[in-house]
Amino acid sequence: MTDRIREQISALIDGELPEDEVGLLVRRLERDAQLRETFGRYVLAGEAVRSPGGQLASQGFVARVCAAVEGDAAAVQPNDADAPTRSRWNRPALATAIAASAAIAAVLLVGRGSNQVGQIAQATLERARDSFASLPLGQASSPTPAHSQRLAGYLVAHSQFANTLGRRTAWSSVLASDPGLARAAYESLEAP
Amino acid sequence: MTATRSFGRRSQPMANFPPSDGSMQAHEPRDEGARPASGVEQSDLELVRRAQRGERGAFDLLVLRYQHKVVKLVARLLRDRTEAEDVAQEAFVKAYRALGSFRGDSAFYTWLYRIAVNTARNTLASRQRRPLQYEAGLSESEQSAVESRMRHTDTPEAQALSGEIHQTVNRAIGELPEDLRTAIILREVEGLSYEEIAAAMDCPVGTVRSRIFRARDAIDRILAPLVDESRE
Repeated sequence: MTDRIREQISALIDGELPEDEVGLLVRRLERDAQLRETFGRYVLAGEAVRSPGGQLASQGFVARVCAAVEGDAAAVQPNDADAPTRSRWNRPALATAIAASAAIAAVLLVGRGSNQVGQIAQATLERARDSFASLPLGQASSPTPAHSQRLAGYLVAHSQFANTLGRRTAWSSVLASDPGLARAAYESLEAP
Repeated sequence: MTATRSFGRRSQPMANFPPSDGSMQAHEPRDEGARPASGVEQSDLELVRRAQRGERGAFDLLVLRYQHKVVKLVARLLRDRTEAEDVAQEAFVKAYRALGSFRGDSAFYTWLYRIAVNTARNTLASRQRRPLQYEAGLSESEQSAVESRMRHTDTPEAQALSGEIHQTVNRAIGELPEDLRTAIILREVEGLSYEEIAAAMDCPVGTVRSRIFRARDAIDRILAPLVDESRE
């Protein structure tokens, strides 16, 4: 650490460093912990002169702020600031939408009384499950019991309009494919 | 004070997403018809511009520069030394988040202080709303955080260190040759620019810069061991 660089730091603190020297010095400060410590002590000395008895920031304060800022920057990607929020909100919504589409497909096809309804519904549900599995992992992406229950309730409500044979085929196939959904459906039927 | 983290990593350019708690509500005051910006203001602005372009190191230098001022300000507002650093930290994080919206209509420190004042006010307001918390009701991590803060800021040792730093610096200034002492006092206490000091001391600006540096360097030689010792 040369005198010249420390003199530049001193001038930077005072806002007297020529603009064309600032960039190089800032980059040097980024790399060199000793220089940053010097910068910090020069600032500390000035503060101590100006306000004897005033509270000074403790050792490690800057490190904590930098860590917090770093964490904050990591949490929010600057180039796409709303992306994490969007994906966090959209993941369960997308999952629910896919599952709901499976349910709707089953209900619509039930109305036609086709024997292939169960297979189609099953295939749709599997596609939905695959799509869901390919989504980024996260707590928020897991469908909640409330989602499953709402979906099951939807199926039950609409199946009332389907013919008996088709309903039984499609319904039992869908439920058999997902024990959790079956349980939720059962609970929704049991509920008052 | 020292920064222990690495400044090596650079992040992407800043996004503009001001916090939603009211602490940043379009409050960048305008210095209408005001005096020309001082060297420090211009230097801050330069660092802000760099931080806005994604140079995290530039923002870290702003934290290094204003850490004591913001902590002191917040401590006065809250009348709580322990909580002051947490709130000051929150203010810096808010400033970082909102840096993209800083246009330079005001001095950076004016803008930063405003964020700090609003953050402190929010803290005071929430303090009035929440019931007293006792340590027994804190989780292990909360307890640990409280103890850590106590260790850093509110112990007699920390206060003694603060007092010792003041004494050491003032003693060091007292021992400086007269030309260095005058230059550093005119700069640090009176806040004069190098040009103004040069006029007052009847010497070239380059000499002022050199004198101020030599004064700082002399103080630092005495201060550094004390700071290092306190860190161990």
